[in-house]
Amino acid sequence: MSTATTPFVGRITQVIGSTFDAEFPDGQLPPIYNAVKVTSNEKGIKVNLTGEIQQHLGGGRVRCVALGSTEGLRRGLDCVDTGKPITVPVGKATLGRVFNVLGEPVDQRGPVEADDYWPIHRHAPQIDELSTNTELFETGIKVVDLLTPFVRGGKAGLFGGAGLGKTVILTELIARIASSHGGYSVFAGVGERTREGTDLWLEMQETEIGTTGRMVIEQTCMLFGQMNEPPGSRLRVALAALTMAEFFRDTTGADTLLFVDNIFRFSQAGSEVSALLGRMPSAVGYQPTLATEMGALQERITSTKKGAITSVQAVYVPADDPTDPAPATAFGQLDAFIYLERSISEKGIYPAIDPLASNSRILDPQYVGMRHYTIARRVQTILQRYRELQDIIAILGVDELSEEDKMVVHRARRIERFLSQPFLVAEKFIGRPGEITTMADTIRSFEEICAGKWDHLPEQAFMYVGSIEQAEAQAKQMAAK
Amino acid sequence: MANIRELDKRRKSVKNIRKITRTIELIATARFKKAMDRAAAANDYTERITQIVRDLAGAGLEVSHPLLAERAEVKTATLLMLTSNRGLCGGYNGSVIRAAMITRGEIEGSGADLQFEISGKRGVNAMKFRQVRIDNSYTNFEDEPKFVDVARIADRLMDDFTSGRMDRLDVVYTKFVSISKQVAISETLLPFAQPKLEPAAPGTASAAGAGSNANYEFLPSAESILEEVVPASFRAKLFKCFLDAAVSEQISRMVAMKSATENAGDIIKQLSMTFNRARQAKITQEIMEIIGGVEALEG
Repeated sequence: MSTATTPFVGRITQVIGSTFDAEFPDGQLPPIYNAVKVTSNEKGIKVNLTGEIQQHLGGGRVRCVALGSTEGLRRGLDCVDTGKPITVPVGKATLGRVFNVLGEPVDQRGPVEADDYWPIHRHAPQIDELSTNTELFETGIKVVDLLTPFVRGGKAGLFGGAGLGKTVILTELIARIASSHGGYSVFAGVGERTREGTDLWLEMQETEIGTTGRMVIEQTCMLFGQMNEPPGSRLRVALAALTMAEFFRDTTGADTLLFVDNIFRFSQAGSEVSALLGRMPSAVGYQPTLATEMGALQERITSTKKGAITSVQAVYVPADDPTDPAPATAFGQLDAFIYLERSISEKGIYPAIDPLASNSRILDPQYVGMRHYTIARRVQTILQRYRELQDIIAILGVDELSEEDKMVVHRARRIERFLSQPFLVAEKFIGRPGEITTMADTIRSFEEICAGKWDHLPEQAFMYVGSIEQAEAQAKQMAAK
Repeated sequence: MANIRELDKRRKSVKNIRKITRTIELIATARFKKAMDRAAAANDYTERITQIVRDLAGAGLEVSHPLLAERAEVKTATLLMLTSNRGLCGGYNGSVIRAAMITRGEIEGSGADLQFEISGKRGVNAMKFRQVRIDNSYTNFEDEPKFVDVARIADRLMDDFTSGRMDRLDVVYTKFVSISKQVAISETLLPFAQPKLEPAAPGTASAAGAGSNANYEFLPSAESILEEVVPASFRAKLFKCFLDAAVSEQISRMVAMKSATENAGDIIKQLSMTFNRARQAKITQEIMEIIGGVEALEG
């Protein structure tokens, strides 16, 4: 890294979309990943652009990705090497603030007085630094706790196509976890709607942490590189957010939460600039470095002996096809994998989590206990059988099933509905308060349904309740009408 | 896109199912016609013999026969349920079983001791699953029930009734009303329904001699004739139940398989559409990748 007193200055030689080339004098070539700045104010066109060096083209030329809009950029402008990669402010001063990819506050609350600035490109923790304990992380959402239990200090992914409620579940998890959580939270908005980010920001200002009288936002910092921003910004904002989270992990030792919405946009942004950087497209037109980029990011989101980062990431699944390379590369990195299914959301069951496609590393008797494991598998077996029978039912009708299968269908339909749950964040829309169901209640409820204790309740009674007792109460209410 | 090979495999299996359901539908149609003829023939006989009993009653006799005697207290009742041996007949067995369970509940509710007899494997299996005690089961009735077999059951039931081992007999079966309507009903066959005196309709033969035995001369006596006719009538009626059940079964199967064939067709159509779309998408994608690669190499 250069510490030259006089910065290297180059000239822009080419601008292609959101990438540009610059030429530096001999012996003044800035290293890869250094940030370069272009500032000009000519004929009323203001340019204030930061770029990141991606490639050395030879002959003193470098190719950069612009982290902002390239409007007004022209050949011949001065391009100044900052001597270091992009750095973002870290530490307590960042809490309660909103940043962009460059670590500049965008909430109009004045400058951030951070004690320290960290570069966004860092190495993943060494293997001997990694934390090895595995602990369950309770969310109070029945289907998640039962079938895809989260790991404290682990990574969970929410996969789903357009409009299945990824962001809603993510917001719900923030509301549930962050509001009862002592440590710090970092939220990264990557390439999603700006409105959602604003909503979340406002909501965090109103949500209290437990009963401490302090608001969630006071323990949270947020970074946004939303849909309206150029690919360079979306490509690096996740790393910037991660850097802030890493600081909390490494220096304060507190449990840190990292929420990313949406990690697919990170891959997508990479694919947008990849061709401009001159790389040959690979499968489905993605960048050939897809797995490398994802790996470099994901490997850093990890818990070390110093502290833990628990992260929840939303992953968009294009065209509802989970075999698409982008979600498929993210898939392998996660501890808990939640897949949202369109056919379930079409039935009006939310969260539309597919109980068969979703899984968790710790759904294992070793971690969750034999009882939990057995019941979770039993629920899945029943639902699996129901799914297999679906074709027969569609062709021959439910009457042709054997008595055993009829019973399976009967219970499966109840379980399916019981997997729905009212959300805290959806209270305003559905008009019923959110339900936080304890792990013990969840397990007991499903155990009893599987055992046939509640076969007599109508299917509709199982919709949007917490524990099984509420389903019973709802059945009574329905009968009264 | 969904797995192409998987889609093709599913489509093949649905096609096979459709082949089967269509065949069953055709067979059911043929059998239905035969069963229908038999039922129609038996219908005439049953109606005639009921007519005779009715006329005898109308003859002003003091009709008394052990099978006609209403018991003051029902201690033991028998429930006979007629289901099919084979499946793939829609809701046929399901509705009979449902009706039987209701009747069974009523009888048990009245405190009577219940003997449960079932004809047909489907009914036997259903009751076994529900862990209901089965006292007697027959699986020898196919789509053409034989009169001899039914008569044997009828004789035993009559014997039970007259000897006082049983006070009531209910039969749950699917009554054939018309080709488009069959209902699962529960009928009390014993005590044999007192032939009701129909209100005299003017102009009919039986109306002529209400209160008189003008139309009949009994030899050797009315009682001995009744002795013959009532059991015969009971046998015929029970036989009719079996025939009705057989016809209804075939109709149900026909209807169920017809809609199954149609459903399978719909699914095949849908699967083909998804399959074609997936296939085209894959081809397009591969072409694009090749072209992209070529262009990248040239540039």
